[in-house]
Amino acid sequence: MPLFYDTLGALSFMERLERNFITADRWRLLLDGLGTTLQVSFMAVILGIVLGVLLAFMRLSKARPLSFLSGAYIDIIRGTPLVVQLMIFYFVLLGPTTKLDKAIIAAIAFGCNSGAYVAEIVRGGILSVDHGQEEAGLSLGLTRAMTMQYIVLPQAFKNILPSLGNELIVLIKETSILGYIGVVDLARAGEQIRARTLDAFLPLIAVAVVYYVLVKFLSFLLLRLERRLRESDQR
Amino acid sequence: MISVEGLHKSFGELEVLRGVHTRVERGEKVVVIGPSGGGKSTFLRCLNLLEIPTSGAVLFDGIDITARNCNKPAIRRRMGMTFQHFNLFPHLTVMENMTLAPKKLGLMGKAEAAQEARELLERVGLPDKANEYPGRLSGGQKQRIAIVRSLMMKPEVMLFDEPTSSLDPEMVGEVLEVMKRLALQGMTMIVVTHEIGFAREVGDRVLFMDEGRILEEGPPDQIFSDPRQPRTRDFLNKVL
Ligand SMILES: Nc1ncnc2c1ncn2[C@@H]1O[C@H](COP(=O)(O)OP(=O)(O)O)[C@@H](O)[C@H]1O
Ligand SMILES: [Mg+2]
Repeated sequence: MPLFYDTLGALSFMERLERNFITADRWRLLLDGLGTTLQVSFMAVILGIVLGVLLAFMRLSKARPLSFLSGAYIDIIRGTPLVVQLMIFYFVLLGPTTKLDKAIIAAIAFGCNSGAYVAEIVRGGILSVDHGQEEAGLSLGLTRAMTMQYIVLPQAFKNILPSLGNELIVLIKETSILGYIGVVDLARAGEQIRARTLDAFLPLIAVAVVYYVLVKFLSFLLLRLERRLRESDQR
Repeated sequence: MISVEGLHKSFGELEVLRGVHTRVERGEKVVVIGPSGGGKSTFLRCLNLLEIPTSGAVLFDGIDITARNCNKPAIRRRMGMTFQHFNLFPHLTVMENMTLAPKKLGLMGKAEAAQEARELLERVGLPDKANEYPGRLSGGQKQRIAIVRSLMMKPEVMLFDEPTSSLDPEMVGEVLEVMKRLALQGMTMIVVTHEIGFAREVGDRVLFMDEGRILEEGPPDQIFSDPRQPRTRDFLNKVL
């Protein structure tokens, strides 16, 4: 093996590319890792939004215990590192007590984390809608729920779309700590290639490029959605 | 029709309404005047339960609507309200603004609501604005739309909270015109305004409100020409 190590410097760039990505179908590692990253992120985003909206309503509710509970949850999540939360979910809460797949547990952990941030975004969005809008809705005889649904939330959603998009992007990048509980995501796949080829540069740059392209692609989609929503009210 | 008895409203320590008594008959046009901060808006908002009175009663056709078990949306349906800042829904077209409530509350079908909206728009001279978004309308147009949006619910009484005070002067007339026509059709109206001309022409009775009470009330001619309270006189001197 030491011999192998020494020869690394003597390899041409093409040979290094081949060794890192082609030999033993190593590119498949990256592709599978990307798949895992996307799956976990997708589940986490859905959970995060559902939980976030729920927490935001609790936080804004007039019922003190609900508001307090939501506030405490958000406070704890925001006050502790995500890696620690992930490990607690896996090693303490769900790992020992359930037969859930690692990736599912991770998605739950990321979703619970994201929910706290989404809650703050949604809460801010609801508060950003002029109070007069709600009063106009109520004065027409609409119920509180209808006023929320047809008047406040659509306007809030438009206001928070950029922040929600940002949260989505942050979340995807944050899943790169999946390796801590042994899930082979995109980042960990790069790490595995590095360990086998003992070449740090190419696998890590490749991983970075894939994340970057993914993020750019999502930003592009979000921007288009934003523009479409803005056109609809031609202000 | 509406009977207000000993109405009090406090926001924390601040006592904004300190015992308001009055009656409004069906078809009557009541104009409320008074200095800023005197509680005029709070009074109107207590009538349709946007604010819950601290104590006192508001009887609407004999029913105490401040009772805890009263169905607020059902009461509000019978009272239209327009606001100083119009509060049109910016994400909806004029047509959607107008038809949202009657449709969602199941009072009108889609076609019926659209037909009704078109007729109302015609009456306020804005038939071509149906598919426009509020952001593209002038203040006067917005307020006219806000009025007909309320009328879609076929209310029995209309509450107006300074409907012209955020408008450029040249747009005040068109909004008052719509209100005058509404008055001629027999609508019961309670109007907070500083438009003395309108009050004289349309009002049956003027209430002067200050510091949370009705300090003086009477027919417009008497209030504007011969106010009894020094406070009313001071106020009128400032606005006239
Ligand atoms: N939601 C509220 N919370 C606290 N204070 C309020 C609220 N609404 C009105 N007030 C206060 O009540 C007083 C009367 O206000 P308002 O009824 O709007 O008077 P007006 O319409 O005659 O100018 C003001 O001092 C105002 O600051
Ligand atoms: Mg006011």
